[in-house]
Amino acid sequence: MQVLSLVGSDAAEVAARLVPRLDGRVATVDRLPETDSGAKMPGTAASFGLAPNGSWVGAGADRSLSDLLDALAAEYDFALLTGFSGVRLPTAVVGEVDVDGDSADSASTGGVPEDALLVAESADAVDLDDLARRLDDAEPHVTLDSLVRAIKGSPRADRAGAIATFTGRVRAKDGDDDPRTVRLEFEKYEGVAEERAEAIRRDLRERDGVEEVLLHHRTGVVEDGEDIVFVVVLAGHRTEAFRAVEDGINRLKDEVPIFKKETTVDGEFWVHDRP
Amino acid sequence: MEWKLFADLAEAADGRRVTVEVDGGATVGDALDALLEARPALADRVLDDEGDLRDHINVLRNGENVFTADGLDTELEEGDELALFPPVSGG
Repeated sequence: MQVLSLVGSDAAEVAARLVPRLDGRVATVDRLPETDSGAKMPGTAASFGLAPNGSWVGAGADRSLSDLLDALAAEYDFALLTGFSGVRLPTAVVGEVDVDGDSADSASTGGVPEDALLVAESADAVDLDDLARRLDDAEPHVTLDSLVRAIKGSPRADRAGAIATFTGRVRAKDGDDDPRTVRLEFEKYEGVAEERAEAIRRDLRERDGVEEVLLHHRTGVVEDGEDIVFVVVLAGHRTEAFRAVEDGINRLKDEVPIFKKETTVDGEFWVHDRP
Repeated sequence: MEWKLFADLAEAADGRRVTVEVDGGATVGDALDALLEARPALADRVLDDEGDLRDHINVLRNGENVFTADGLDTELEEGDELALFPPVSGG
């Protein structure tokens, strides 16, 4: 799923104009003021309503933006966010930005990240086709669920009785005395990393009994406890599924030019520099 | 000719992209010499005591490891992309 955070006075207008240019299922997420959960029955976490034609409504409590995006990623191709400032997501800034506004969730940037996909004075000044292209090229929001769901939709799924997966995540501690890892930052050799990963995918997919393979490695900052890398294999039977998953993650770690900088409570270092 | 540098090598060179001038018929080794001359701190990082490239340093030309073929003697062609990086550490 591609995620775009729109901020500024024309955010909602640009979101509405962008939707027809996006190829896929689009969800929008609006920033709400502090509110009651909206769950209808006291003591419940969420309420849903479902109509015979598939229309539905939902409301609930206790959900972070990242939890919500994780949930949306399996079902939608795009999520357009309006009114969330200071989040670390692909961002477009359109119109005036209220710098004195809601900065409670603003990490440090004050709502206008330096690497914004787009900064424009007004909705009319936005080249929407260009914005849609930039959004397609931005880092996608990928979860294990979104990959499992995608692989189940493979045209070769009829032949497959097994899905095996590997998830690599940020390990906070190696031992009791180990200084806690706060975050990792991954740098990728753009272009070559994708080629190498594709070669691994192709090799595994050609194996007897392996129907489909998906690999995904995040780049940029990944916090303690978050997922980093996924290998998902759709296969006829469990044995070839397990083997392909193990070989896939091993080859990815050996062959794909991605570099990891670790930040612990004691400082930061490039992981290949440490034994 | 442009070098792409990664991880601590980009930090040592104070940049992710470094352009070097080489003559026609130059090799990857010539372009590496020009790079290390321009960025001495990088030379300390990638060369051993004998002045040879450390074993774990990767040199790629157009996405291919040069050491699987002619190594640093590989002749350059117009528009080649060169890359220098430490052991990969994804996952």
